[in-house]
Amino acid sequence: MFSRILDMKSRHTSKVIGLNERNIKLIYPNNAKKHYPLADDKVLTKEVLHQYHIPCAETYAVIEYNSRIKKAWESCKHHTAMAIKPANGCGGGGIKIIKKDQQGNWISSGKKISEREIFQHMAATIMGFFSLGSHDRVLIEECIEPHPFFHKIYPQGVPDFRIITLDKVPLMGMLRMPTDRSDGKANLHQNGVGIGVDMQKGTLTQVYDGKNYYDHHPDSKFVVEEVPIPYWKEILEISIATAKAFPLNYLGVDIVIDKNKGPQIMEINVRPGLGIQLVNKQGLKETIENKIK
Amino acid sequence: MNSQTNLKIALILITVIAVVSIGLKIKPILKNYDNFNPEKVYKVNYNYFFKSKDKSSTVVKTFIPTSNYRQRISSEKIKNDSTLLFAKKMADNRNVRGVWGTDSRKTYHTVNYEFIFEGKEITYTIPQQFNLVSDKYNKYLKPTSNIQSDHIQISELATRLGQNTQNDKEVIKNIFDHVAAIPSAPIITLTDALTAIEQNRASCNGKSRLFVAICRNLGYPARIKGGIIVENADKRTSHVWAEVLINQTWIPFDTLNNHYAHLPANYLEIYEGDEFLITHTPGIQFDYTYEINEVNHISFLKMNSNEIHKLSSISLWGIVESGILPKNALNLLLLLPLGGLLVAFLRNVVGVKTFGVFLPVLIAFSLLHTGYISGVLLFILLILLVGLISYPFDRIGLLYTPKLVISLTVMVGLMITATMIGIKYNITWLTTLTFFPTIILTIAAERFSRATVEDGYKMAIDKLFQTLIATTICFGVLSLSWLPSVLIIFPECILLIIASAMLLGRYIGIRWVEFYRFKPLFN
Repeated sequence: MFSRILDMKSRHTSKVIGLNERNIKLIYPNNAKKHYPLADDKVLTKEVLHQYHIPCAETYAVIEYNSRIKKAWESCKHHTAMAIKPANGCGGGGIKIIKKDQQGNWISSGKKISEREIFQHMAATIMGFFSLGSHDRVLIEECIEPHPFFHKIYPQGVPDFRIITLDKVPLMGMLRMPTDRSDGKANLHQNGVGIGVDMQKGTLTQVYDGKNYYDHHPDSKFVVEEVPIPYWKEILEISIATAKAFPLNYLGVDIVIDKNKGPQIMEINVRPGLGIQLVNKQGLKETIENKIK
Repeated sequence: MNSQTNLKIALILITVIAVVSIGLKIKPILKNYDNFNPEKVYKVNYNYFFKSKDKSSTVVKTFIPTSNYRQRISSEKIKNDSTLLFAKKMADNRNVRGVWGTDSRKTYHTVNYEFIFEGKEITYTIPQQFNLVSDKYNKYLKPTSNIQSDHIQISELATRLGQNTQNDKEVIKNIFDHVAAIPSAPIITLTDALTAIEQNRASCNGKSRLFVAICRNLGYPARIKGGIIVENADKRTSHVWAEVLINQTWIPFDTLNNHYAHLPANYLEIYEGDEFLITHTPGIQFDYTYEINEVNHISFLKMNSNEIHKLSSISLWGIVESGILPKNALNLLLLLPLGGLLVAFLRNVVGVKTFGVFLPVLIAFSLLHTGYISGVLLFILLILLVGLISYPFDRIGLLYTPKLVISLTVMVGLMITATMIGIKYNITWLTTLTFFPTIILTIAAERFSRATVEDGYKMAIDKLFQTLIATTICFGVLSLSWLPSVLIIFPECILLIIASAMLLGRYIGIRWVEFYRFKPLFN
């Protein structure tokens, strides 16, 4: 048993990066702790993105104090849809997408929502309800409409691309898709699936659901193999631009494709997960070696 | 590269210093290694005061303990004035007697008999059926004036207790439970077996005589055993319990303090048989005390305090001796880094996810207080309760910190209630939640409820489970009784812990659980 583990270790682990190696070799030397807030705070991230004119959802308002809620609302309630997010939320908690229906009522998660309830949600966000007790800011931004390309694969939720960059070079990518069991979420450990990406060709490869590999989405049965990704060139370009804009050399860049505006940066991550190796059936170390060559 | 070399130099330096310092002490310690490993060490002093008679000579006799497989008697010192004559005599039943005699008249005498007692706890397992007993044990079956095993009342009780039993073990258990259930009373005067039944209350001597009488009536050789329960105090009470011969072994039963086939480490055995610990010439003025002091010791060393002091300046024996820091607190301090290292290993090499680094260590410490199984049960129960309590408040939409205050307050309330119920209905494991475990469990519950917010219930429960695994491993290591002693003698181990942590801090290998996670990539 033990000799088998050792054997496995010597033969294969050279390719795969584990959490220890990720922390010591990739995160610590490349990402200085003082710059973490640039990635962890969505408002700060967007300030940098706007500064470098990198496409991302338009910011309607940032609210820091309860007293500013009403005023900020007046300035953005003419929009027909918007996303309300805590700047420092964790695990996607506290994100509300609201849309106007034909009568002019606000709808959130299929239910009518009053302005009063929206204000309450914002006040709770400011008081730190979604960021474990610390004071937070509310970010109101443009609501992104997923590109029809995604509807072919799976019609619901918001899918996004994750591109890992090291020293401004895109290393590996994957497309995260919601499933019937993931409640609109695209995260792998919330029952979403990951779809591997061929970085050279800009095509999808295979689907991984955390256990098995498929050539199709498990619910829609849409075959993804060899399917070209729209705007692939732009996706690579804005990931590189983002990597250059931030003083962080090892990043996970999350990108969605908007129906009208094309690829947009959603957020960036300084501690990107390692599951992407599984999705692409490739160890990160191998990828890094290939890129250097 | 530069930092790499610095790290290596620091590592080598620390390790060399620690190993050299340990090496200097290792030889005398190996030479003095003691495989007796006592759990308790006490200095016991018999102090007798008496005035000799005016017409004839005066004698004071007492039993003197001897070493056996679970107790060691050493450093015997006898102090008495020159008019007293001391002699050690073998008495019946392999007992040893100390006898002080004098021919002086009407003078006051002081006798001081001192020794070191080292004791170990012992628990026996009782077989289902007992072998037949040979004739030479017949005297342990015979009635005596205080152990009236042939009396009709004892016979009736014995027959009743022997009914509906499958084997000898059950009979003994029945007798024990019956006698143990008799209410205890601090009766100083002699209570014989019959009186114990009639009064239905008795102290140690009445209960033990009754237990022996019933055993003898049913054909199990049994005898009285006498001694002292040693504790850090001056006392005048000695103690008796019973022993039953089961397959050539005398097995102890204390019906007063509910020790079934078990003798705690602080039971000093002094004599066997239904005797008095002290006898003296009648009609003299006589008084006595037992002066008992616990002695600090390193269980695996045959050295006294001074010898340990001389070993090396770098040992923590001085702190132990000063008594300023309670022993438990010192143990906790010393074991904390080691436990931390263990958790670091589990997290970074094995890949176990835990709530915090020191929390599993601290929970393991609380488990040392509460006992493993009841502690773990309490732990899970409390944490689930916190989850349940915070659920309705989640729905109301309370802020995180005030919500935490509510759940913790409820938890403290529950712990106090549990303790009160435990005291009222005499459920010991419910009363084990003292100050320290309460705080630790409260912190653990806080971390859990935080995790439910951050990662959701499923991940939080998963993490809780893994924390329990880490806690169990820590408990296993921390409950090794020799470990704190090693750290007291070799505090350099702390340096080695730093060195190991440095190595661990640069470990970039795949964690064991990642072998499982990335399995598809390895095929």
